Amino acid sequence: MKGDMYLAWSSDSEILNRSENGGIVTSLLKFVLDTKRVDAVLAVKARGDDRYDGGPVLITDPSELIETAGSLHCSSPNIARFLKEYLGGAFDMKLAVVGKPCDIRGTIELVKREQVNLDNLFLIGLNCSGTLSPVVAKRTIIEEFGVDPLNIIHEDIEDGNLIIMLKDGTEKTKDLKALEEKGYGRRENCRRCEIKIPTMADIACGKWGTSNKKATFVEICSDKGAELFEEAIKAGYIAVEHADDKAIKERKEKEQEAIESALKWEKTDFAPLKNMAIEEKFDYWWGQFSQCIKCYGCRDACPICYCKDCILEADRGVVMPGEVPPNAMFPMIRIAHVMDSCLNCGQCQDACPAGIPLTRLIFMLNKELYGIFKYQPGVDVASRPPLRSITDEELTIPGVELVF
Amino acid sequence: MDIKYVPTICPYCSCGCGIYLVIKDGRIIGQEPWKEHPVNEGANCPKGKNAYAYIYSEDRLKMPLVRKNGVFKESSWEEALNLVSSKLKEAAPEKFGLIASCRNSNEDAYVIQKFARVVMGTNNVEYCGRLCHSSAVAGLVPTMGSGVMQTSQLEIELADCIFLAGVNLKETFPMISRRVLRAKDRGAKVIYTDPRNTATARYLADIHLQLKSGTDAALINAMMSIILAEGLENKEFIATRTAGLDELRNFLSKIDLKQAEELTGVPIEKIREAAITYARAERGCILYNQGICQHTVGGDNVKLHADLALLCGHAGKPGSGVNSMRGQINGEGSGDMGCLCVFYPGFKRVSEEAAKFFEDAWGVSNLPTKPGMTYIDQLYNCKFLYMIGGDPMMVVPDVNNVKKVLQNMNFIVVQDIFLTEIARLAHVVLPAATWVEREGTHTFVDRRVQKINKFIDTPGETKPDWLIVSQLAERMGHKDKFSFSSAGEIFEEIRSCIPQYKGITYERLEKTVGGIHWPCPSEEHPGTPTMFLEKFGTPDGLGHFQPVEYKPPAEMPDEEYPYFLTTGRSIFHYHTGHMTRRTPKLMNEVPRGFVEVNPKDAIKAGVKDRDIVTLETRRGSIEAEARVTDNVQPGLLFIPVHFADSCANVLTNSALDPSCKCAETKVCAVRLEVKR
Repeated sequence: MKGDMYLAWSSDSEILNRSENGGIVTSLLKFVLDTKRVDAVLAVKARGDDRYDGGPVLITDPSELIETAGSLHCSSPNIARFLKEYLGGAFDMKLAVVGKPCDIRGTIELVKREQVNLDNLFLIGLNCSGTLSPVVAKRTIIEEFGVDPLNIIHEDIEDGNLIIMLKDGTEKTKDLKALEEKGYGRRENCRRCEIKIPTMADIACGKWGTSNKKATFVEICSDKGAELFEEAIKAGYIAVEHADDKAIKERKEKEQEAIESALKWEKTDFAPLKNMAIEEKFDYWWGQFSQCIKCYGCRDACPICYCKDCILEADRGVVMPGEVPPNAMFPMIRIAHVMDSCLNCGQCQDACPAGIPLTRLIFMLNKELYGIFKYQPGVDVASRPPLRSITDEELTIPGVELVF
Repeated sequence: MDIKYVPTICPYCSCGCGIYLVIKDGRIIGQEPWKEHPVNEGANCPKGKNAYAYIYSEDRLKMPLVRKNGVFKESSWEEALNLVSSKLKEAAPEKFGLIASCRNSNEDAYVIQKFARVVMGTNNVEYCGRLCHSSAVAGLVPTMGSGVMQTSQLEIELADCIFLAGVNLKETFPMISRRVLRAKDRGAKVIYTDPRNTATARYLADIHLQLKSGTDAALINAMMSIILAEGLENKEFIATRTAGLDELRNFLSKIDLKQAEELTGVPIEKIREAAITYARAERGCILYNQGICQHTVGGDNVKLHADLALLCGHAGKPGSGVNSMRGQINGEGSGDMGCLCVFYPGFKRVSEEAAKFFEDAWGVSNLPTKPGMTYIDQLYNCKFLYMIGGDPMMVVPDVNNVKKVLQNMNFIVVQDIFLTEIARLAHVVLPAATWVEREGTHTFVDRRVQKINKFIDTPGETKPDWLIVSQLAERMGHKDKFSFSSAGEIFEEIRSCIPQYKGITYERLEKTVGGIHWPCPSEEHPGTPTMFLEKFGTPDGLGHFQPVEYKPPAEMPDEEYPYFLTTGRSIFHYHTGHMTRRTPKLMNEVPRGFVEVNPKDAIKAGVKDRDIVTLETRRGSIEAEARVTDNVQPGLLFIPVHFADSCANVLTNSALDPSCKCAETKVCAVRLEVKR
């Protein structure tokens, strides 16, 4: 049932061998496909044997699932966008979706915006300690580890270290914090991300709490997840044992440690921005936005932006067409439209050709709004984005009317 | 449902950015960031973000067209190729011209030049690189030994002074602009020469030298004179890696700085600041493009910038050099492949020796040994024209005159993806496949060879350019030399006769995200991001100073035509506009041609913002929408080159740089009136 925690293993030896932990994610996907509980699975796969290039894949043939087993830390595909933009929000198909916490949260925000049909989804969340941009990852491996990036067969983030494994089986470890202080390591949004365990999914899977046993730690997060998991056990796809207090404690501690590190990074990233004098802030941000070349990359990459006819488009008459940089309305409108629900997923900043620290800004503003509204995006499907909803209480204020 | 992300390279400028295409059931339905690509790391510019709309444009050519009684009729390939074959058989070699494009793949370009040389027996084969970057060869071969970009675009980040010589980087090379921003974050200074106050001037440059059009020589000579006077020249570099400083020093000793100030309109203190900043840098990196090239003194202008770099020792290390910024996807490659009347493939200068080499390589005899005619000369002298992917009715100066000449041709065959302006004048039009409808390699700005795969079916009856040309060669009796069954086979032949490409294979390119920089002499060689690390490409390996005197543009404003006119590009459009004008999102940004007018001139001419105005030169007139802006100084007008209805080159001057036959499309004299 919801809230249950297990250590679990795949009953399929091929999956177990291929997987880094217990192979539960792959086994659950196989179960839902085999039993036709879903039409397809949305997962992530490396392009060929390139660990630095993982992209979303839609799988209908269970035998192909094995290729999605294992984790990739050096890519950050935009799962929620894929679901919304190219799979019609799962209104016409049943899907199992595998994602990091930001992917699952993006999906949930899209459910609130009626862009994704949650009823048709099984959400399988993966614990996440962060991802590296592929370019920075390669640079880190070459410049700091002195290794050819093509010689890596596995990478991991564990106990504050970045660990790489070479083809010959050698493992190399570097302190992640030290790397990141030098500009290597994870994407900056990942460094300050506090949501490491995707309990907003139906089932959350990870390795924390397994004491490095070949097992997956599973937390059942919804009734839908509970039902699915129990059936998978019954059907013999997976074997489980209840997580004991020690395992649960270990997981909690690791999560706590990661959150503390995230909060430190948040401070490192935000303090200089917050501490600027007002004129300095204006100059800094205007300097940043004046580099904008109006590619719309930030908007298009944002998993929660969804308008088909965006008000920022050149033919909408709000932003003067053909001007680079566009006027201030462009960044202002974009920020205002998403700041209450920013997931700190980093996709906008990744896509910006001008290198504007967009996620840093929007997430910083989101945190300010959190202080006011206590709204945490993408966590609870029932809570509404505060800047785009009106409460019953607000409606009772004299003079407040809704005009449609 | 079959849906997948496939990696490819943007079809537009020559940065060579990666993108993911989203393909659903055989049709492209979207595109996504490809973050692993080293050039752009998942970011794209407005054109790159709208990379594929044009290929689905409803007016794509899908069938061969043959003109009958003055109108085009759809025909079979059989009929069209037979007609072209019989007509071309009538052509004497010196009356036949073949013009390829910066958009052909290397494989296309290679087959195209082979067709001209083997089937038609002429070196009259050119591509549009002639019109923008031939000055690079004229200026850099004598000074440094090669006209190519000298550093990898990634290495620009290492520079601590970046000199943008007439290149509006933010609009024309947005992803290289990001490298410059990163260099600036590390403290680099940016110097920029441009008569216009562009986005690059406002948001990227630290020192904007807003010179008068065509006065680059006066400016650079003044800078070098200051550097020598201050003793800031790099003595060790000069001693070990260069020759000829004394002549330059003698020449510069006569430079009058006051006169330079008057000629350029730039205060001498600002010129001094720029000179000292560049000279004192650890790594100075000059990036230049048409702004200095498209002049009657383009070759000289490039020489001057090479002199400046040699003087300060800013060459032969990563993040330095004098770097030609080629603007199109295969601007480098089509030249590498030999689509130039003076070069066989691999820049082997046309000669008895080069002809012999290729006679052996190709198993043919009697290859032409004398240089052919350049692009514009072909238009004016040939009677049979085969145009593959270019549009002289958009890009060649004095378009009205070009039209007359084309109308007098015996036979024009145009091979393209749309019915371009020149295609409307053709006798036969052959429909070509584009971009991800065929397989092939391109060579991007920094000699970066990347492969583009075929992901979607060719529409209608279209075929890859190389296949059409090969099938024509077959009909003209040369089947055995053109029996290619795939682009890969052509690439193998390219590797076998172009030493710079020898070590590059399709297999390697498939595995290497970001491609391989030529020269790459063996399959084990990683490629060469930086040129001239040890020596220059000149016969003695030294950099050679080449003093250059200032010469004014061929046409200067006068009472009748009182304004300078200069031309350029917008970030939202691409060259002749045939692709971007078929891309709705880009058209929403800039839907028509415009002219930038300084507010003072606008008042004088009674022009209000957004008025339709008439621009007239000695060669013709066009209409455009006025944009009253201080982007231009008083006395200067600017128009973009992308619009057929406001075609910039109706106005421009056809005066040529004698050293390379590049036209002076950057300066002429023009009159401005509100449309009556």
